[in-house]
Amino acid sequence: MSISSSSASSNRASSNRASSNRSHATGVSDSGRWSTKRIAIYALFVALTMVTSFIELPIFPAAPWLKYDPSGIVCLIAGFAFGPSAAAIVSVLGFAPHLFGDPWGTLMAVGVALALSVPASLVYRRWRSRKGAVAGILLGAVLALAVAIGGNLVVTPIYAHMTVAQVAAMIVPILLPFNLLKFAIHGVVTFLVYKPIANLLRK
Amino acid sequence: MFRRILYVSIYRYKKGPDSPVNDTDSPIVALDDVRFSYDDGASWAVDGVGLTIRAGERIAVVGANGSGKSTLGRIIAALAAPDSGTVTLFGRVVFDGEAHADRYREARHDIGAVFQNPEDQIVTTIVDDDVAFGPENLGVPHERIGERVDTALRQVDMDGFGVADPTRMSGGQQQRVAIAGMLAMRPRMLVLDEPTAMLDESGRAEIMTVLDDLHAQGTTIVHITHSAAEAVAADRVIVMRDGRIAEDAKNDDENGHASGTNPLSRLSPTAPPDTRGSQENDIVSSSFDSPWRGFAEDARPSSPGSPWRGFATAAGIFPSLGSPWQGELSGESRTEGVDTPHTDVAPAIRDTATPSPIVTMSHVSFAYDHDHPVLRDVNLTIDAGETVAIMGRNGGGKSTLTRLLCALETPSGGDITVDGIAVARSPGRRCKPPSKRDRRRLRGVVGYVMQHPERQLFAETVAEDVAYGPGNLGLSGDELDARVRQTLDALHIGHLADRSPFGLSGGQQRMVAIAGILACRPRILIMDEPTSSLDVDAAARIHRLLADLKAQGVTVIIVTHDEAEAALADRVVELRDGEITNRNAQSETNPLSRLTPTAPPEPRGSQRNNTVSSFSGSPWQGELSDERRTEGVEPPDAGSRSDNASFVARLDPRVKMVLTLVLMFTAFAIGTPVQLGVAAVAVGAILAASRLNPVAVLHSVRLFLALFVVMSALNVFFVRTGTPLVHLGPVPITDDGVWTAVVYAGRLALVVVLGAVLLLTTTPTRLTDAFEALLRPLRRLGVHTGEIALVMSLALRFIPTLTGETKAIIDAQSARGGSIESGTPLQRLRALTAIIVPVFAGALRHAENLGLALDARCYEGGANRTYYRLLRISWRDGVFAVFCVLYLVVLFAVPLV
Repeated sequence: MSISSSSASSNRASSNRASSNRSHATGVSDSGRWSTKRIAIYALFVALTMVTSFIELPIFPAAPWLKYDPSGIVCLIAGFAFGPSAAAIVSVLGFAPHLFGDPWGTLMAVGVALALSVPASLVYRRWRSRKGAVAGILLGAVLALAVAIGGNLVVTPIYAHMTVAQVAAMIVPILLPFNLLKFAIHGVVTFLVYKPIANLLRK
Repeated sequence: MFRRILYVSIYRYKKGPDSPVNDTDSPIVALDDVRFSYDDGASWAVDGVGLTIRAGERIAVVGANGSGKSTLGRIIAALAAPDSGTVTLFGRVVFDGEAHADRYREARHDIGAVFQNPEDQIVTTIVDDDVAFGPENLGVPHERIGERVDTALRQVDMDGFGVADPTRMSGGQQQRVAIAGMLAMRPRMLVLDEPTAMLDESGRAEIMTVLDDLHAQGTTIVHITHSAAEAVAADRVIVMRDGRIAEDAKNDDENGHASGTNPLSRLSPTAPPDTRGSQENDIVSSSFDSPWRGFAEDARPSSPGSPWRGFATAAGIFPSLGSPWQGELSGESRTEGVDTPHTDVAPAIRDTATPSPIVTMSHVSFAYDHDHPVLRDVNLTIDAGETVAIMGRNGGGKSTLTRLLCALETPSGGDITVDGIAVARSPGRRCKPPSKRDRRRLRGVVGYVMQHPERQLFAETVAEDVAYGPGNLGLSGDELDARVRQTLDALHIGHLADRSPFGLSGGQQRMVAIAGILACRPRILIMDEPTSSLDVDAAARIHRLLADLKAQGVTVIIVTHDEAEAALADRVVELRDGEITNRNAQSETNPLSRLTPTAPPEPRGSQRNNTVSSFSGSPWQGELSDERRTEGVEPPDAGSRSDNASFVARLDPRVKMVLTLVLMFTAFAIGTPVQLGVAAVAVGAILAASRLNPVAVLHSVRLFLALFVVMSALNVFFVRTGTPLVHLGPVPITDDGVWTAVVYAGRLALVVVLGAVLLLTTTPTRLTDAFEALLRPLRRLGVHTGEIALVMSLALRFIPTLTGETKAIIDAQSARGGSIESGTPLQRLRALTAIIVPVFAGALRHAENLGLALDARCYEGGANRTYYRLLRISWRDGVFAVFCVLYLVVLFAVPLV
């Protein structure tokens, strides 16, 4: 599966096809906009993010109100497979359905997803190897961790009657370990599933 | 008829003087020495095809898997350019060594393309909007689109369904909507690639009727099909073989007697659906030597009235199977059986002479919710070694019944015992799920083959995938390797062991997936629609496997819509409205008579006998369990158009969305009880103006509300300021604490109620329209706003599809012993991988189909696009805006007073 568009040509999946003359493109969709294939893939990845963002798994017994959802994995994979712009679109649109139930939390979730997936895909774009993937995930996780904790400092007082100082007191015992665990799961799973998925994309 | 001719001529007139004039004899498609390769020339999917199609022709393209017929279809439909040759469409050369994009674009506007999977061609959740999508892309003026939509829906006999949700329709209805979406673009030619492959019998008949009508009205039709019965309806049949046209002959009359050579006469009913043009090989051509043949001799119960015999002889329905099959069934001695190494996949046979029950269900009932019982007082006993077919309409409870047997669902009442394991017991009022240990034992006994089991493939190699189940059951090392090898060999797919499962053909994938379940050596095998959307050869292979399993003494339960398949079973259990009616498979009129390849497709609404009609309503072979699937929907009430909609419902969605978000975000500024009161009054007014039932709204957000109440209640204990009201032990409860709790819970509740009112009064289409309109200013910055909005709209439309698939995969993997809820962290991660990879594979499969469907609908983005629904600001929006401003002024003024 390839995306016949200039900005996605850096990814391995499409470069195979793009380099040969056998893309079988009719040329209809090459006029500086997104190809239908690209739209379709983004749409399905966004849908997948939406679906997974509604999953809530309690992974941290010390703070049962903090739930793990696997949507970050989809954002990471979108970025690895289709580049930073895909990561950004999937991260922003994928959380939109939550906006009308949890407005501030949605903004924060989008921020965390962007901080995780966009830098990771930027690193991986320059450095296409397993090491590059690991480095990308680590960088993304550090940035996302910062955004998550910063976001909690701002958002938690809006939802609960707490001062920023009270939230800050929760960073070390609760927020930090929870988010570390969360990004560790994101990273490990992405690392494990990316190869088979990349094979699918190359097909 | 008249109307159509009139409109065709008007349409031609509208084409203007520039376009080539087509009288009925001039070719509209001309291919010359066209070649097409998927692998840079290593093999040729289409290999030197020359072909001319004239206006008004109805052509059937048939051929085996990998014969290149789908690829040919895409070339004809202007969806793909070949590698070499010349392609002329409507008199203009679109390809002659290079693709001429502008001419391709123009040609595509005149061609409609319909694909196999109806679901992947739907772009939105309202039929009208979906059908309008093509005309919008063509830039048809807004005022004309409605008329086109209505005409197109009438042509496929779907008028009155304009406001229905196509994602909830039966496959046949969806496919008709997809055809309408093409007709609304007024194509001169319709190219259909196996449009009925995913449909049941009644769906097929619906589509064939529509094609008959369209052809009678003058539309040129190219119908790629694997059904000889469907090909008979064409007036010209092209047989593809190895990328070449093997035969090309006219059907003289409607009975299919062709002049000269009739290609249909030699067309074995082997024409598999291939979506990708991937090279099919191996399994199809592999021999059908049975590894269980030796077993069959000894173990087959020698019932004289065996349904197998009746089936095999009744039809010659699988002539390609030839004698080995019939020989085996009739119990004739064979000499050629010795050359196949014998390996058994299932456990040794028990004494079949004295059948003993292996599955018992007594007084089992089940409901997803109280109002909708799915199963009612079901009593069912299945003996060891029996093959039982479960039939019945969708919604009848078939899939639920099998899920109960696998302990994927717990009944609301009744007892279930499977091979001595207490799967469900209801000692008191509540039914208890099995213990962890029993569940584990059950996984070793029951094999569950979900619908489209190839969708659960995940590993990098076939061998690894097949090893997943037995590995979860505790096998490892050499023992595991041996088990995998035996299983693959027994299914004749040993040579695929090191291949990626994703590179295989559809038929091979299904065999691999089934091997993954048989590798656990289940004593009971449950298969949910095991042959759905398989070609005849692959289906025959599955049917053969059923016979082998039976010979082995494995108890087999198949859920099926297919009478012929049910006839393979010893017994048919029919579920109707959640209750069982037993019937004898052989006592009915022979269902095969309707399925012989030469039988013409039944016109819709024709007389059917009773047996069939009780199944024919089952429209949908999708991936959700059928109980959650709706039947073909009825046309909605005429009055449900927005004429009598409420004030809030009629607001412009842009205004409504923006102002609602403003109200939601500002609600977090509420800090005092008085402000909360003001806001509550405002939200109450909006709720009243929406004419929604307040109880229903609160019900829809009840989970949020419960959470808020609990969260806020904690404040009561932590706020120490204010006047103490009571002391709970050492903790003072103050009035400040109580008010804080009320304000925090109250403002969150108002936020979610506002969100719910917005979502309940605005369709997803309107929301994405508004989203696009609001994004539009960003276009100046180079943002692809139209595309982003389309992505959003398509994503929302695919949520239910992906949710259903994800659930199905989780169930199927957990039936193989993979669970993310138990085991070591490593096992859990592996279980997660086994779920995530297939989910992504599914998403990519949908994306590929969807991309083609968008092409077929001529989505080209850009400025030429028109809009079926216009957004208009009315006086209501002004009133609402003033209301919101006043409210905000009051809200922020209150603390100052």
